[in-house]
Amino acid sequence: MTDPRVVRMAETITNYSLSLKPGERVLVLASVPALPLVREFYAAALNTGALPFVRTLHPELDELLYRRGSDEQLRFVPASDKLDVETCSARLAVRGDENLATLAGIDPARLAVGRKARKPLLDTFMERKGRGELKACLTQYPTNASAQEAGMSLADYADFVFGACFCDQPDPIAEWKKLSAEQQHYVDFLNNVKTLRVEGPGTDLTVSVGGRKWVNSDGKANFPSGEVFTGPAEDSAEGRITFDVPTLFSSHAVEGIELDFHAGRVAKATAARGNDMLQSALDTDERSRYLGEFAFGLNYGVRRATRNILFDEKIGGTIHLAIGAGYPETGSTNRSGIHWDMIKDMKEGRVHADGKPVYENGRFIV
Amino acid sequence: MADSRVEKLAKVLVQYSLHIKKGDWVRIDGAAVAEDLIRAAYVEILKAGGNPMTRVSLTGFSYEFYKHASKEQLTFVPPTANLETDRLDASLSIWGGWNSKELSGVDPKKLAVSQASRKAMFDRYLKRIGTGSLKWCGTLFPNNSSAQDAEMSLSEYEDFVYRAGKLEEKNPVAAWQKVSRAQAGYVRFLNTLKTIRIAGPDTDLSFNVAGRKWINCDGHENFPDGEIFTGPVENSAEGSIRYSFPAIYGGREVENVRLTFKKGKVVEARADKGEDYLQAMLDLDSGARYVGELAFGTNYSIQRFTKNTLFDEKIGGTMHIAVGASLPESGGRNKSSLHWDMVCDTRKGFTVYGNGRPIMKNGKHSRFQIAD
Repeated sequence: MTDPRVVRMAETITNYSLSLKPGERVLVLASVPALPLVREFYAAALNTGALPFVRTLHPELDELLYRRGSDEQLRFVPASDKLDVETCSARLAVRGDENLATLAGIDPARLAVGRKARKPLLDTFMERKGRGELKACLTQYPTNASAQEAGMSLADYADFVFGACFCDQPDPIAEWKKLSAEQQHYVDFLNNVKTLRVEGPGTDLTVSVGGRKWVNSDGKANFPSGEVFTGPAEDSAEGRITFDVPTLFSSHAVEGIELDFHAGRVAKATAARGNDMLQSALDTDERSRYLGEFAFGLNYGVRRATRNILFDEKIGGTIHLAIGAGYPETGSTNRSGIHWDMIKDMKEGRVHADGKPVYENGRFIV
Repeated sequence: MADSRVEKLAKVLVQYSLHIKKGDWVRIDGAAVAEDLIRAAYVEILKAGGNPMTRVSLTGFSYEFYKHASKEQLTFVPPTANLETDRLDASLSIWGGWNSKELSGVDPKKLAVSQASRKAMFDRYLKRIGTGSLKWCGTLFPNNSSAQDAEMSLSEYEDFVYRAGKLEEKNPVAAWQKVSRAQAGYVRFLNTLKTIRIAGPDTDLSFNVAGRKWINCDGHENFPDGEIFTGPVENSAEGSIRYSFPAIYGGREVENVRLTFKKGKVVEARADKGEDYLQAMLDLDSGARYVGELAFGTNYSIQRFTKNTLFDEKIGGTMHIAVGASLPESGGRNKSSLHWDMVCDTRKGFTVYGNGRPIMKNGKHSRFQIAD
C-alpha cells in the first residue's frame, strides 16, 4: 500500500502548488526512485482533468553521455524537449536520486557544454514562467541517497520530508494556506521597511530594502517552501555577518562563513572549512561579491540542516543571504553567474526594521 | 549482461581468499543490494564442493530493530548464530548497503547493549579466525551508497573497486600470489628492524618495533588487500603526527587530527572538526590512548581516499596508525574496545626511517616494490 503521506503530497502539489485545471498539459520530470510519488501525482492530475505526461531522468545515462559523447553529442537537444517547454502549462520536477555523486567526476567544462546547449530551453522556461504561462514546482522524494547525505536513516528522512511538507497532517492544503496568510502579513509589513539591521553573535549587518518587493514563497514554486525574500539594494550592505549552518557550493561543504561588507561589497571573507571554495566563488565575476537575496526561513516544520538547499533555506528561525544573482521580481538588479545561499541560525539573533525590533530569537514579533 | 568482474571476484574469494575445500560449511553474509556477488559466490562455493548458506539482510531492517527492540530483544542472541560461530568452516562478509548513515540516529547506548551481548560470541569468532579453524574474508560489493560517500558514480566506483582487487587482470589469483611473495620478502626485512620513525609536515613520531612480528596482508582476510602491519611496543610511541585525511570511525569524520604521544600514550589530541568525538573515543577505556597497529598501505592501484577503511588503509604509499586494540598475531598486547585506523598520507613530504635509515620517501619504498 502506498504511504498515505505520498498520496497527500501528490494531491497537495496537484491542487495547491500547481493548482491544475482541466486541459492543462503537465510535464513531470523525475528520476526512477521517485516513481511512487510520480504515480500518485499522475492519478491526482488525471482526476483534475489535466493532461499529465512523464519524462524519467536517468543520471547514469547522463554520466555516459558526458564521459563518452563528442561535443556534438553533448550539444544535441531533442526537438521534443523544446516543444515540451514551449507548450506545457505546468512542470513538476521531482528530485530523488540513488546516488548524488553520479556526475561528481565529470569535467565541469563538459557539463558547461551541455548546459549551454540547453540554455535556450531554460530561457524559454524562465520567460514563460515570468509571463505566468507556465506554473513550475520543484520537490524532493525521500531516497536513501538524500537520507545518507543528511546523515539519517531513510525512515527518519521520510518523516523529515513529509513533515516539512505538512503531509504528515490530515489536511496539508489548509496548513499551507495558513502559512501563506501568515507570511503575507510579514511581506506586507516588510514592503514598507527601508532598512534592516541584523544582530547576533559575530553579526551586525545593515541592508537597505526600501523600494524592493518581498516575495511570499508559500509552497508553490518550491515544495516544501516557507520563506519570504527580497533583493536588497545592491550597494547597501554594511557590517559583518557570520553563517553557522553548513552549506554546499558546487557540492563542496563550506562551513563557518564570515563576511564583511562595505558599500554592498564583500570586502573580507573567511570560512572555517572550504575557504578556497568561498574565495573562488566570490571572485567568479564582477557582481559575485554583492548580495542578490535577503530572506527569512519560516517553515517551522524544518528543524535541522540536511545538506539540501530546498530544505535548509526554509528552516524556521533562520535567515539566509545569497551572494550573486538576484531575482528580478524583487527589484534586484544584481546579475551574476552564481547564486549562493548562506544560512544563519537566528536562535540568538535580532532584526531591527527602521530602528524598531521586529524579529527576536527566531520569530517575527510584528 | 552481468559484469564479468563479479564472477571473477567470486572465484578469487572462494579459490584464493577462503580456499574453500570439499565439504566446507560456508556462510555468506551480505545485504540484498549485493545479490549479484552473493549469487556468484554461492555458485563458486558449490563448484568447489563446499556447502554454502546465505544470511541476507534487507533494507531498513536493522534501523527498525534498534528503533523497536526492548532490552530483552536487544540482548537476544539466536542459538543458531552461536552454532554457526562455533561450527562454520568459512565465513564471507560482503559489505555494502543502501545508506551508510542508516544507524546514525540510533541511541549509541542501544548499539552498545546489543554489541555487549554478542561480545562472547564475537570473541570466539575472532579466536577461531586467529587459530585458523575458521577462514574469514571481508569484502565489498560496489553500490550507490558507498559510491556516493566516495564522491563517485556507481560505474566509476565499480572500476575503482575491481581495479583495487586486480580483477581487470587476466589471472587475478596469480596477481595476488605475486603480491604475497613480494610482501613476504619485505616482511623479512621489517622483522629485523628495531625502530620506525615517521617524519613529515607537523609530524615526527618514533616507535620501537623490536621483537614484534610484521604481518603480510595479501588478500585472504580482506579483499582487496595490500597492507603490512605490526603492533609496536605499547609504551614506545614518542612525538607527534598530523593526519591530512579525515579520520573516520563509526560513520563519523574527524578532520585534521593532531596527536602527541609520550611513552606510548596520546597526551594531546586536537582536531579542526569533531574534536569532542575524538576525545570521547580516546577516553573510551585505558587502552584507547595507546597504539595497537602500525602499518604500511601497499596497494598502489588504490590512490583515492574514499571514506571507507577497507580501501583507505591500503592506499599504496600511505601509513596508518590505529589507536586501541592490537592484533595479537603481531605480538601487540594492547587491549581496548577501540580500534581506530587513522590513515596518514605519507606520499607527500614524508620520510619513514627504519633503524635511522630512510626506507620510504614520499610513499616510495627503497627496498620494496610491487609491480603494478
